[in-house]
Amino acid sequence: MGFIQWESIVFAVISFGILYWLLNKYAFGPLFSIMEQRRERVLGDLKKAEEDRKQAEQYLQEQKQAVQEAREEAMKIIEQARQTSARQADQIIAQAREEAARLKDEALKEIENEKNKAVAQLKSQVSAMSVMIASKIIEKQIDEKTHKELIDQYLKEVGS
Amino acid sequence: MPESPKLNIGIFYFDLSTISMFIITGVILFIIARLAVRNLSVENPSKLQNVMEWVVEFVHGMVASTMPLHIGKRFISIALALILFIFIANLLGLPFAIITKHTEEVTLFGYTLVSQETIDKWLAKDGYDHAPVLWWKSPTADLSVTLGLALVTFFLIHYNGLKLNRTHYLRHYIEPYPIFLPLNIIKEIFKPLTLGLRLFANILAGEIMIKVIIMAGIFGIPFLMAWQGFSIFIGGLQAFVFVILSMVYIAQATVHEEQ
Repeated sequence: MGFIQWESIVFAVISFGILYWLLNKYAFGPLFSIMEQRRERVLGDLKKAEEDRKQAEQYLQEQKQAVQEAREEAMKIIEQARQTSARQADQIIAQAREEAARLKDEALKEIENEKNKAVAQLKSQVSAMSVMIASKIIEKQIDEKTHKELIDQYLKEVGS
Repeated sequence: MPESPKLNIGIFYFDLSTISMFIITGVILFIIARLAVRNLSVENPSKLQNVMEWVVEFVHGMVASTMPLHIGKRFISIALALILFIFIANLLGLPFAIITKHTEEVTLFGYTLVSQETIDKWLAKDGYDHAPVLWWKSPTADLSVTLGLALVTFFLIHYNGLKLNRTHYLRHYIEPYPIFLPLNIIKEIFKPLTLGLRLFANILAGEIMIKVIIMAGIFGIPFLMAWQGFSIFIGGLQAFVFVILSMVYIAQATVHEEQ
């Protein structure tokens, strides 16, 4: 046979087997393992990126919440301060009013006192003077004691 | 057809050009593969490593297109070896051929390479004062080599069919009726035969065509360039066809789809 030579066929099969074994051991094996490593690394990176993204989202939520809480607290403090100041102002005004009222009362009382005192003084002076005037006018017609009673009565009527 | 040098040891006749070209192809493939995996790196692959990884991905895609990957995974490396080997083998015959002319018996270390009978046979022909002996050619332009590779596929088909899918593999010989058994056996034999013949014929035709164009002398150069370019394409295509058909045959034997 010109074309087919069984020695060549056997040689081809055997030597291809050897070649395959050599290639598998020294070239394809390492290459496949490297490609597998890369695949795993890419998968790992993707997974890690996903985790990082989730974590970042969580942090963002937490931060947002913290900001919200701080804002609420600040509002509360401002409100409290406003209430306190309003109450204090009211208190001060009430106190001042009370003080003023007290002072006014005192002054009025003093005025009354002074007035009473003056009136008493005036009464005594006027009675004495009128006795003098009357005695001068009437000249011993009436005794001093009767005269004084008369004037006192009169002044009482005037004073009431 | 020029003669091949044949080493005669006892009753064996070794076709030296085929064997040497086969070894050269294997050595080239092994060197390229070793260069590609020198300094392997996950992060920063070299150019050759990138090319090799592209080939691996390509073969991976081929295998995945014919069978489920949990079965096909084990065939990726053999498919890779086959496609690279056949592609390199197909290209080797393209740049040149080495043919020596002999009028006397050629011997090496006392072994006859070209016998006197062969030379006499050529001298008896018209127009020959010598016997042409072809030393350099594509190993795949030899039917024995392509049949040998097809035999590898044949082993793969039936070994894996028996191992992975025994009952369905055996049952398919008597389907649809037991009377189809001889037909099915012929079909199984013809699968590797057609694989080998297709590859051999394509590559041999390419080389013969190159010889024909060379006869046109200087005017043939543009045609020669065009044809060699086309032959590179054919070489790649035939390697692809060989491997994808092998994978399809393996898939037929090993994969059983549950109805």
